[in-house]
Formats: sequence, structure tokens, C-alpha cells
Amino acid sequence: MHHSTRKWIVIKCSSVILIPLMIWFIVNLVSIYDKNYNELVNFFSKTSSKVLYTMFLIAAFSFFSLTISEVFEDYINNEKIKNVATKILYVFAIVVPLITILSIFRLN
Amino acid sequence: MLEKNPLSPHLQIYRWHISSLLSITHRIVGVANIIAVTLICVWTICLLFGEENYESINFFFQSFFGKLLIVSLSWSFSFHILNEIRHLIWDLGYGFDLKISKITGVITIIGSLVSTILIYSFGKSLI
Repeated sequence: MHHSTRKWIVIKCSSVILIPLMIWFIVNLVSIYDKNYNELVNFFSKTSSKVLYTMFLIAAFSFFSLTISEVFEDYINNEKIKNVATKILYVFAIVVPLITILSIFRLN
Repeated sequence: MLEKNPLSPHLQIYRWHISSLLSITHRIVGVANIIAVTLICVWTICLLFGEENYESINFFFQSFFGKLLIVSLSWSFSFHILNEIRHLIWDLGYGFDLKISKITGVITIIGSLVSTILIYSFGKSLI
């Protein structure tokens, strides 16, 4: 299978997974964003919140990094700059959710 | 050979249609959403630093600008979800007809506004 075909399939699968998680996330974000510290910690301490938030972050950063790399493909002509930008994007898409997920699992 | 790959044309050479408007908005909203999700990650990590350090963030979220940010995020998520569903329907081979494409485009725009109201109302009634 050509790598572009594989990338397209991964983008489409991640978007199907991401849609219900985005709905869960935004509805819950609206319900908690202005709550006090203890209520927020209570929300993120629930196992269901931890699991769904982790799934949301993995799906969101996978989907967005792949689609933003497509934007780089379309608008950056210089191959070196494009490759460096894409690599930075992929590292960012791994590090940010990883630190967040580890933080969430340390909350009690 | 790769060096000579053509780039996408610049935006100003297109005559504006609802399809091009939605396509460009989809990309801009996608980038805005990942920036927002990154900031939300930072917000979540800040919870580890304790209640006292969280006060200033809580103060911002209780202000007008905090509410505006969340309403804007509700719209950008709604728009992205609806337009992504539109893309998935295209991927299944449906909705390519010009008239249908315009109708689904209008549904996406109006639907994103209605969904924003529904998400905000439903979210506020949850807790």
C-alpha cells in the first residue's frame, strides 16, 4: 500500500473515532470550565473522565498532526523546511498529550 | 522531481464559493482547535500545582472573556465536527452534486450555530 493511501486511511479512521470524543469533550468542558479547583479535580479524578480524556487527546493530536502535515505539504515548497516542520509537529503531537495524560493520572 | 511538485494555488485567485469558503474555514478552524486543545492541556497540567496557583486561571474563566472563549470553542468544535461528517459522506461517494454540495455547506454553517447553542445549554445544565 502506498504511504499516502495509508496516511489517508489513518486520517479517516481517526476522524471517525474523534467525532464522538469531541462531542463528549466540548459538552463537559462547557460544564466544568468555570468551576472551582476542587470540582475540577473531582471531575478529572473520575476513571471515566481520565479514560475518555486520554482517548480524546490521543485521537485529537493524531488527527490534527496528520492533517496539519497535509497543510505543510500543500503550502511549503522547500523540502528541508517541510520535513523539519513535519518532524517538529509530530514530536509536539506526542509530547504534549503524553505530559497531560501523565498529569491527569497523578491527580487525586 | 519532488522539488518541482506544484503547490496549492494562493487563496486570492479563487472566485469565492460556499465550498471554497468552507474548505478554507475548515483548515483555519482545525489549526485553531489544536492550539485551543494545547492550551487546555496546559490548563489541565496547571491543576497539579494546587488550588492557590489555580486562582488566576479560575478568575479568567469566570470573566466575560473566559465565557467568550468557551462559546467560540463550542462553535469551532461544532463546525469542525459537522464539516468532517460532510467530508466522510463525500469519502463514501455521496453528496458530490453541486447543488447537494451547496445545500450541505449551508446546513454545516447553520448547524454549527445551532449546535453551539445546544452544546452550551446542555453543558451548563450537566453539573
